[in-house]
Amino acid sequence: MKPAATPCFHCGAQIPAGVLIEERAGDAALCFCCQGCHGAYLMISGAGLDDFYRRRDWQETGLAPEIFQGRFHDSHLSRFVYPAQEASAIDIIIGGIRCASCVWLNEKIIARIPGVLEARVNYATGRARVRFDPAEVAPAAIFERIARIGYAPRPYTETAAREGARREQKDLLYRFGTAFFLTMQLMAYSFALYAGYFQGIDPEMKNYLQLFSLLVTTPVVFYSGWPFLAGAWRGIANRSPNMELLIAIGALSSYSYSVYATFAGGEVYFETAAMIVTLILAGRLLENAAKRRASGGIERLLGLCSGQAQRFAGDMLETVDSLELRPGDLILVSPGERFPVDGRITEGSTDVDESAATGEAVPLVRCAGDSVIAGSCNLTGAVRVACEREAADSFIARVARLVEEAQSRRAPIQGLADRVSAYFVPAVLALSLATFCWQYFSGGEFGPCLMSALAVVVIACPCALGLATPTAILAGTGAAASGGVIFRGGDVLEQLSRVTLAVFDKTGTLTWGRPELVEVRPAAGTDRRRLLVLAASIESGSLHPIAKAIRDYAARNGIAYPTGTGLQGMAGGGVTGRVADEPVALGSVSFLEDLGVIGIPDTIESPDGGMVVCVARGGSYCGTLLLKDRMRDDAPGLVSYFNRAGIRTLLLSGDRQVSAEKAAAWAGIGTGIGGLSPAGKAAQVDLRRLSGETVLMVGDGINDAPALSAADVGCAVAGGTDIAIETSDLVLVKPDLERLAGAHRMARRTMTLVRQNLVWAFLYNTIGIPLAMAGKLTPIYAAAAMALSSLCVVGNSLRLMRIRRD
Amino acid sequence: MTSSLIALMILSLFLGCGCWLFFLWAVRKGEFDDIERPKHRMLDDDDVPPGQDRAD
Repeated sequence: MKPAATPCFHCGAQIPAGVLIEERAGDAALCFCCQGCHGAYLMISGAGLDDFYRRRDWQETGLAPEIFQGRFHDSHLSRFVYPAQEASAIDIIIGGIRCASCVWLNEKIIARIPGVLEARVNYATGRARVRFDPAEVAPAAIFERIARIGYAPRPYTETAAREGARREQKDLLYRFGTAFFLTMQLMAYSFALYAGYFQGIDPEMKNYLQLFSLLVTTPVVFYSGWPFLAGAWRGIANRSPNMELLIAIGALSSYSYSVYATFAGGEVYFETAAMIVTLILAGRLLENAAKRRASGGIERLLGLCSGQAQRFAGDMLETVDSLELRPGDLILVSPGERFPVDGRITEGSTDVDESAATGEAVPLVRCAGDSVIAGSCNLTGAVRVACEREAADSFIARVARLVEEAQSRRAPIQGLADRVSAYFVPAVLALSLATFCWQYFSGGEFGPCLMSALAVVVIACPCALGLATPTAILAGTGAAASGGVIFRGGDVLEQLSRVTLAVFDKTGTLTWGRPELVEVRPAAGTDRRRLLVLAASIESGSLHPIAKAIRDYAARNGIAYPTGTGLQGMAGGGVTGRVADEPVALGSVSFLEDLGVIGIPDTIESPDGGMVVCVARGGSYCGTLLLKDRMRDDAPGLVSYFNRAGIRTLLLSGDRQVSAEKAAAWAGIGTGIGGLSPAGKAAQVDLRRLSGETVLMVGDGINDAPALSAADVGCAVAGGTDIAIETSDLVLVKPDLERLAGAHRMARRTMTLVRQNLVWAFLYNTIGIPLAMAGKLTPIYAAAAMALSSLCVVGNSLRLMRIRRD
Repeated sequence: MTSSLIALMILSLFLGCGCWLFFLWAVRKGEFDDIERPKHRMLDDDDVPPGQDRAD
């Protein structure tokens, strides 16, 4: 049998043979890969929201596999409810929102709950504000509804830091809006003055126009331009001339020159001052919008820990906030829940998915006496856990602190324009002073001498300099975004172009992060098919990735299998049960040896760091299955690109040293280091940075988050966890590593362009300097030089958009 | 001539101020907080919950 040709209508996955589920909708037959997808479809279409399938965008990555499956309690949630317009409201962060279609679906689903008055979901922040009638609906019901369609709701509280960031954004918007409207007014007056310069103008009228120009320019320079003035002052105080100082000098000099000219007679340059401020504010606004989505990574990380826990009080269970748990408390953790704190299992055994903490995809068996990590997911059995640490001190909280530390430690990079300004500003000021001295001591009057000196500063500080970097970066990031790479700000482009060392995580980055069955080795007397039937039957009831890999393999090869009976997952890495009334066991070699299975060969070994699973029937060995986490095919291509570009490579893994080395050798990476904790990875990155390398870190898991933020450039791969994506500077929106090579090429090209822009900008304006020094600068030359340099710079930057995407 | 021009300039300034105040009001009201969603909202139909006719 071949797999069905049409993909699943709901999830788009290829449908394995034999498990097709059909549903008739009108005259079309819809195919589904599993009951889950079928159920989801029935629910969505039952609510009359079929449109979801038409408007969703497959270009975006889907929901991370480990969605939060907590339970919701009113006692916990009621704390986040606040009154709003004769009703109650609650702010909810909806995890898993990836595209406009998700926003639409959530809005509609929430709004359909009886008692909900209004639901608005913010696309940029993934946050919903729900207004509801508390008499009709409880907050827990809203949360459960959202969770049931597969998103991860979490109550939201605004912290002081976020509140501050939001206010700052609004402040910037006010300043920009003010500058924009006033500059529009100003340009009208300026055009009248230009015309007057060529055609002649009534001196009285000219003076009025100049006065009006002065009136509208003053707020632009001193209110809208205040951030630059303050920044420039900091630059002076720290004795490090920066870009802001250049902007401030440019704006202030042309402003004060024009004020002087307004009253003393002469030509004014108010528009230069206003334009510099307005255009650069616009650039900042755009950059901030990109950065805003990056904030909040740490809060999401802490959100992984469930907010509440079931604590034993005597024989009864009580629901408490996880912050109230103290070491020694006994709690119950049900399947599907995450462990709220670090602890030790006292009763029961279960499979634990620790991928959040360690990045390893294969769940581990944990039984009484084993310790568990907060944030990891309990998969199969209910266990009693004795708390060992408080929630504020748990593993996840410690990782969050690591990330926070790494972010605060990272020095802000000094932009190319800043570094140029450091030389240019003093040079211009010296020239200006020299001009004044030279003219004054060769017998000039004070007034005209000052005018000439100021003119030098005005002509030397071009708008084009302010535009050189932002326009190139805007064009570069825009072109990269359409190619599936998102840069979090312009400094990332610059850093990426200077990277000297690329560090890779193994699991989930170089590999797919889930095991696949690669080889079947039946023992003598058993055929291949029979072995697979036994293995698939015995694993038919398990969520374990190994079980899934075996079932997938059987389905792909068209092998039908019965469901095993009496299935029991055993602590210690195995399953026992009965298939067609024969006792069957599946597990590691040591597991089968403990069961007393006979005939196990001594020479079973795992190839290339893969996993070995043995099967026994009726107490005798009947074969081995080999599983392996498959490598991404595009990894060697990326590594060889880096090698050609002269960038060294390094692999860091939480896995064993042997498998780290093997993966490194396969991908062509120079060195592989294994056995590292999240903090260990970050420490390795720090070590490389201290030795002078500019480090690019590529990762996908929470365990990579500290390293991602410690690196000069952190790059998250699509399909990784939200935390990794939010702590990184660079995101690949499609799981295709080759795009990183494209991003690196784009970064280098953009920086070349920035350098060209700076040269152009300086060239034009430097020609004006001798004229200004001689006191011969006529307004028409000044205007022409400024306009030409700006045009050159913007036009040059736009070339980036035309580069063909490959 | 000059006085009428000045009157027009003052008038334009007031017009600009009006626009500016409107902008400030919009920022304060949070109109710019989410600039992604409204463009999609425009395309949403007022779809009908199940069990109701589109006619009513």
